[in-house]
Amino acid sequence: MKLAVVVQRYGAEINGGAELHARYIAELLAARHQVEVLTSCARDYVTWRNDLPAGDDTVNGITVRRFETSSERDPIDFGLRSRVVFHEPHSLAQELAWLRSEGPTSPALVRYIRRHANRYDLLLFFSFRYYHAYHGIRAAPARALLVPTAERELAVGLSLFAPIFRGVRGIMYNSHEEQAMIRAVSDNAHVPGVVVGVGSKVPERTSPQRFRRTHGLSGPFIVYVGRIDENKGCKELFDFFLRYASARSRSLSLVLIGNSILPIPEHPRIRHLGFVSDEEKFDAIAAAEALVMPSFYESLSMVALEAWALGRPVLANGRCDVLRGQCIRSNAGLYYDTYEEFAEALLALTTDPALNEGLGARGRAYYRAHYTWPVIERKYQDMLERVSSDEAAAGESRLEPLPGWLARRHRTSPAATEVLARVPTGAVQVDRDGRSHVDRPRP
Amino acid sequence: MSDFSVRSDGIDVERIMQQIRARIREKRGVDYTEDEIRELASVKLDRFLDPKQLRSGLVEQFRKARESAPPETYDFEDTTIYESHRLPFLATIRRLLNPILKLFFNPNPIIHALHLQSRVNKRLVAKESLDYEVMSNLVLELTRLSVEVKNLRMRVESLSTRLDFDERRARALEGVVQLKPGALSPDLSTLGPERVPAGGSEGGEGDAASKAGRRRRRRRRRRPGSPGDEAVVGAGPHASQTSPGGDTDAQPDAEDDGPGTESSSGEDS
Repeated sequence: MKLAVVVQRYGAEINGGAELHARYIAELLAARHQVEVLTSCARDYVTWRNDLPAGDDTVNGITVRRFETSSERDPIDFGLRSRVVFHEPHSLAQELAWLRSEGPTSPALVRYIRRHANRYDLLLFFSFRYYHAYHGIRAAPARALLVPTAERELAVGLSLFAPIFRGVRGIMYNSHEEQAMIRAVSDNAHVPGVVVGVGSKVPERTSPQRFRRTHGLSGPFIVYVGRIDENKGCKELFDFFLRYASARSRSLSLVLIGNSILPIPEHPRIRHLGFVSDEEKFDAIAAAEALVMPSFYESLSMVALEAWALGRPVLANGRCDVLRGQCIRSNAGLYYDTYEEFAEALLALTTDPALNEGLGARGRAYYRAHYTWPVIERKYQDMLERVSSDEAAAGESRLEPLPGWLARRHRTSPAATEVLARVPTGAVQVDRDGRSHVDRPRP
Repeated sequence: MSDFSVRSDGIDVERIMQQIRARIREKRGVDYTEDEIRELASVKLDRFLDPKQLRSGLVEQFRKARESAPPETYDFEDTTIYESHRLPFLATIRRLLNPILKLFFNPNPIIHALHLQSRVNKRLVAKESLDYEVMSNLVLELTRLSVEVKNLRMRVESLSTRLDFDERRARALEGVVQLKPGALSPDLSTLGPERVPAGGSEGGEGDAASKAGRRRRRRRRRRPGSPGDEAVVGAGPHASQTSPGGDTDAQPDAEDDGPGTESSSGEDS
C-alpha cells in the first residue's frame, strides 16, 4: 500500500507531540508499506517560517516532500480572529479566515494533494486544527484518514471542523476521551474509528544511579518532563509543590526537564535541568518517585506512557479528562483537582512503597497491553485494511461541500466556548465489550 | 505516612482517590470546595469584631440617635394628592378635574409608587428596633468574649510560667545525675520533700552541715561560668537528653565515668 503522512512539521530534530507521533507512525508503517511524508518547510510552530528548503528530503529512510508556506503567522491578527471565533457568534467565513491566520498556510501543499492524491492509497492527516489538515482533507476526502490529536481546546468547537470529522474515511484517536469529545461535537459515530495512541522508544535498560550521580541528587524527587509553560499547568505545579515542601516534606525535590518559557521559582528543592538527551530523560524518570503531569489539556501525554513503560507511577492533573481517564483505566496513577488532593496523593506516592510499586507494576502492564509497537501496528494495520476493503466507500466522498459564498457570510455559528461547554466532561470508562461511556461528570 | 491497603494485583485508583478525599474531608471537618475555601480566606472580618476597635458607647449612641430623630413616616393613599387641609372643597374640585389632568400625564403610577414607599418606610421602622436588639446582643457577646480571651491569656501566661519552672527543675535534676566521679551523693531535699532518699533522714548536726556544704557546692557548679559548668557539659554528648527521673540516655557515659557516678545515678532513681 502507498501511504502519505501529512503533518504540519517533520524532522528528526522536531520533538513536538503531534510531530513526533507522526514520525513514529511513519517509521512504523514504513516496514510494511511505501510511506511518504508531505509537510511544510517550517521548523517553528509559532511563525511557520520557511526554515527548511522546499523539495524532497529523506529522514530516517522516509521520503519527505516539503512545501513552502505562503505567509508567516501574524500573532496580533491571529489573536484578534481567535477572540471573535472563540467568544462571539460568527460566520463560517470568519472561521476560514482564522484558520488561514493560524497556518501553516501552504497552498502549494494543498495543490499537490489535490493533483496527486490518486498516487496514494490513503493519506494520514495529523492535527485537525491546522490549515494543512482541513484543506488537505477537503482536497482528497475519499482517501483521508485523520489522526486528530485533539485536546479539550476551543478549536474543537468551531463549526468548520464538524464536517471534516464526519467526512473522513477513518479516525485514529489518541484516547477514549478524545473520541467522546469529537463524537459529541460532530455526531460522527458512523465514521470508523479506533483508539490507538502511540508508543515510545523506551530503552531496555535505564540507569537511575547515573542520573543521580550526574546531577548530584541524593534524596527522593518527582520529575516533570515537557515544556515549562503556564498552559501546561506548571505555574500551579510550582505553587502546589512549594506549599507541599514547606508543610509536608523536608526532603522531596522537584526536577524539571524541558525548555522553560515561565519563570521558575528560586528554591533549593526545585531543580531545572533544561533540555536533556532521551537517555538522560529515561534515567530521570526511572530514578524518580513519580512523574508529575500538571497539564490541563492533553490529547495523550506520551511522557506519562513512558513513565508507565518504566514502571513508575504518575501524578496527574485530574481536571484534564484524558489524564484522569488514563489513570483510572490503567490503575497506575493518582490525580488531583485541588492542593489538598495533590498533597495527599503525593504523600501517598512518596511514603507508601507498596502503593508506589503496585501502581508502577500496573503501569508497565497497561503499557504492554496497549502501547507497545506491535499493538499499535496491529491497530493501524486493521484500520488500513478495513478502509481499503470498503469498496462501497472507496473513491466516494462523504464530505459535505462548503456552503456558498453568501451562506458562508451568515453569522450563524455559535461561539466555540458555548459549543465546548455543552460537551460532557469526565473520564471515560470502557466496559468489557469495548463500549465506552463518560463515567461521570468531572466535579 | 499513608495507610492504603494495597496489593499489587488489587489496586483500584478510584478507591484510593475516594480514601484520599475522605481523609481530606476528615481534616477539614466540612467538605468545602477549593473555591469556597479561597472565598472564606479572603473575607475580612468586620471591624466591630475586634474588641479594641469597638466604641464603648456604641449602643448608647445608637439609642440616642434613634430617639433624637424619629423616622418620618406617613400614609400615602390614592386620595392623598387631592387633599387640602385649609380648603376641604378643593379636594372635590381637584378630583373633578382629574380627567383633564390625565390628559397631560398619568398620576396613577406615581401614586402607586409613593404608596409602596410608605409601606417600605413602615417596615424599616419596624426593622430598626430589631437591628437595635441584634446589635445590643452582639455587643454583649463581644464583651463576654473579650473577658474570656483575657482570662485565657492569663491562664496561658500562668501555664507558661509553670512550664518554665518545670523545665528549670528538670535541668536541676539533670545536674544531679551527671556529677563527677568521686562526688558526694547529692541531697535532693531541695527539689521537694518526696525526693529525699531513704538514708538521708539519719545523722545529726554534722550531717546537716555537710548537706548544707554540698548544697553550696552544687549551687556553685550550676552558676553560669563557674568551673562546675564545664563538668556538666563534659558529662557526655547526650547530657541534654537526660530525663528528670534519672532514666537517661547519658547512662552509658556515666557508667564509663566510674562507680561513683553510677551510685549517684542510682540514688537519684
